[in-house]
Amino acid sequence: MKKLDEKRRAFLVGAAAGAGALAGKGLVNEAQAKPHEKHKTAAADSADTATSGHHEGHGAFFNDDDAKTVEAFAERIMPGAPGMPGAKDADVLNYIDLALSGAYADQQDFYRRGLAGLDAYCQATYKMPFVRLDAARQDAVITAMEEGKATGFAWPSAQQFFNTLRTHTMEGMFADPVYGGNKDFAGWKLVGFPGAQPVFTQADMQSKDAFKRVPMIGLQSQAKAPAKRT
Amino acid sequence: MATEKTDVVIVGVGAAGGIIAAELAKAGMKVIGLERGPRLKTEDFQLDELRYFQRLDLRPNPKRQPVTWRPNANARANRTNEQNNGNQAGGGTVHYGTLSWRMHESDFRARSATVERYGAAAIPQDSSLVDWPLSYADLEPFYDRAEYELGVSGKAGNLKGQKVDGGNPHEAPRAREYPMPPLQVDQAGATFESGAKKLGLHPFPSPRAITSQTYQGRPACSYCSFCQSFGCFIGAKSSILVTKLPEADTTGNFKLITGAMCYRVNSKDDRATGVSYYGPDGSDNTIEAELVIVAPFIYDNTRLLLLSKTEKFPNGLANSSGQLGRHLMAHIGARVFATYDDRRINIFMGPSAQRHTLDDFNADNFDHGGLSFIRGGQISVAPAALEAGPIGTAMNLPMPPGTPRWGAAYRDFMAKNFTRYLGITAQTENLPYADQMIDLDPNERDAWGLPAPRMTYDWRRPNERARIEYLQNKLEEVARATGATKVWRAPLGQGAPGAHHEGGTRMGSDPKTSVVNRYSQSWDLPNLFVVGSSTFPTMGSGFNPTLTIQALAYLTADAIVNKYRKSPGALVQA
Repeated sequence: MKKLDEKRRAFLVGAAAGAGALAGKGLVNEAQAKPHEKHKTAAADSADTATSGHHEGHGAFFNDDDAKTVEAFAERIMPGAPGMPGAKDADVLNYIDLALSGAYADQQDFYRRGLAGLDAYCQATYKMPFVRLDAARQDAVITAMEEGKATGFAWPSAQQFFNTLRTHTMEGMFADPVYGGNKDFAGWKLVGFPGAQPVFTQADMQSKDAFKRVPMIGLQSQAKAPAKRT
Repeated sequence: MATEKTDVVIVGVGAAGGIIAAELAKAGMKVIGLERGPRLKTEDFQLDELRYFQRLDLRPNPKRQPVTWRPNANARANRTNEQNNGNQAGGGTVHYGTLSWRMHESDFRARSATVERYGAAAIPQDSSLVDWPLSYADLEPFYDRAEYELGVSGKAGNLKGQKVDGGNPHEAPRAREYPMPPLQVDQAGATFESGAKKLGLHPFPSPRAITSQTYQGRPACSYCSFCQSFGCFIGAKSSILVTKLPEADTTGNFKLITGAMCYRVNSKDDRATGVSYYGPDGSDNTIEAELVIVAPFIYDNTRLLLLSKTEKFPNGLANSSGQLGRHLMAHIGARVFATYDDRRINIFMGPSAQRHTLDDFNADNFDHGGLSFIRGGQISVAPAALEAGPIGTAMNLPMPPGTPRWGAAYRDFMAKNFTRYLGITAQTENLPYADQMIDLDPNERDAWGLPAPRMTYDWRRPNERARIEYLQNKLEEVARATGATKVWRAPLGQGAPGAHHEGGTRMGSDPKTSVVNRYSQSWDLPNLFVVGSSTFPTMGSGFNPTLTIQALAYLTADAIVNKYRKSPGALVQA
């Protein structure tokens, strides 16, 4: 077993270097969990392109309206800009959608009720759903939730729902792409995190510069490596 | 329902139970270990921050195994969302940050030392500060065994009374060097070191139970940084899982039962007769044993004894003193953060928890004359979540004043500073107070229908507040001295217990005021041992407790093999 561990580590070092050679300056490809296309609806097709982004079709949990709301909300939590990938670029919606149909299935009702509260607040305040508001008003809504001033929420409270959406947005930005977000390492690129690096050298650790020696590495690129489980 | 007979049954095979299991099995005793969680393998572990840090994969599921907290006896307790302890064979040593400290000499006599130096009036009247029933010198050989048998990397600061450059100048005398040199210094450690030295302080590399070179067939650390909160994917972390459990296996005398939830220590009068536990299939099983060792995390030490009450011990087994569950302590954290425009820190490299340390303001290592508090804290450099990935950072790095925690300004802050920040933390001692305690929650039950452990605790007492304020100022001084562009304080916690819970089955010299003796042996039932940080009469210092837990476990195992076995009965006469 101990010998195996050493072999395994030696292999991973090699895998990191090999992946680097293969991908050049680019990134190791990750298989992406994609939303299902089959439930695509006319409503989704005709949705406001300003709020629906690249995400098309029905996922595993959210209906189309809720998907658009969550996507828009996450984008205000982590907005994209040129050279700065945001929540849409990272496909945070896909992450949350898959999580709610799996690991976080016990939070489905939390989301349903939270989204209903959000809609009630937006309708009462602006007579429009969240996705139709401009960015400044969306930010005002989120601020009111963060500060506990948004009315119309019962359980979860506005603050609870904000905190959970913020947490899940961060998870979708920064979790390994195997979970369906952090698409093309968007979140890791944003902050300069190199991912699941198995090894850092003494020179790496003493450097005062950005780490650029090898590409970002995700779990699936390690798992695909042939020697891993042999 | 199965019934088995054995020499020894051990409840919980973590930091303490794993050591005792291996040592007693090596001495020829038949040992059964009960473990609530699974037994994992090194190849199970992944570099996956979501799974292990954020979703706490190696910890108890708080929905199935709730623990509750209330700030005082008048408040209703609520469930905590996160537990420190592990939930698998090897316990917390599988995911811990590996800090492996010996306490200072005077930590074992905190009450006497305080009275001698500052007078009895310096001790808060409501504190139950006491001396330990053993000395540093008593424990030194067992610290030594733990460091060598498990594998700790570090630099001695005091070899047999001679100060050694590069180590901790406040260290208690040790018989020999660490078995391995310290881990390599990263940029966070180097930055912290330079700032602390400018202030005339004494930084040194923290001792960690991680291999800095090949050790006992295990490979050297590869500095991946998926360390605190994670199981080590190459087995370089000297956890009980990869050290003592394989050792126990080779004896042929050790049997591990996983998925076993122990719910009662059985006893007849003043003798423990074994334990009862639920199996993974819900079955109700019994083990009869000559010797019962209770060694789960502190919540379950107290809870299990409370659940095991009898006619003779109506207030909980082994609780004739009435001290069971009392004197709960936890380290109190203060944090300061710094960013650097002129360099990257890249704190996501290297074993993540407290990398470099200052012992100058810990314990009684500085003069408290003129200060309104006693005891101190360990200062070290660490990432925001102890673990350094981007999820941990997003969840735990408080923004500097004026920066929001979402939106474009937040994104810009993270994009710029994720690679340019470090945290400086004070892990400070908590004096014991009798009314800080664990009991059974009357409202919350776990997945087995057992009452949840309930903590009643609030660290915000005058002595603790004054100490935290003092240490926050020190943290800021150190951070500024590192040449940081920006320095800011994290808000303090709201009274809830932080890391490293201790107390509940206090060790002492007097059966009237303690639950166990210096060998972690129950005063009331001599064939019952309760081992772990639940026995700590004081926190000792701001140092992490694990190596002291492990040294005490070696001491207990040694006493059982060399004394108790020859003459079963009380090892200390009351």
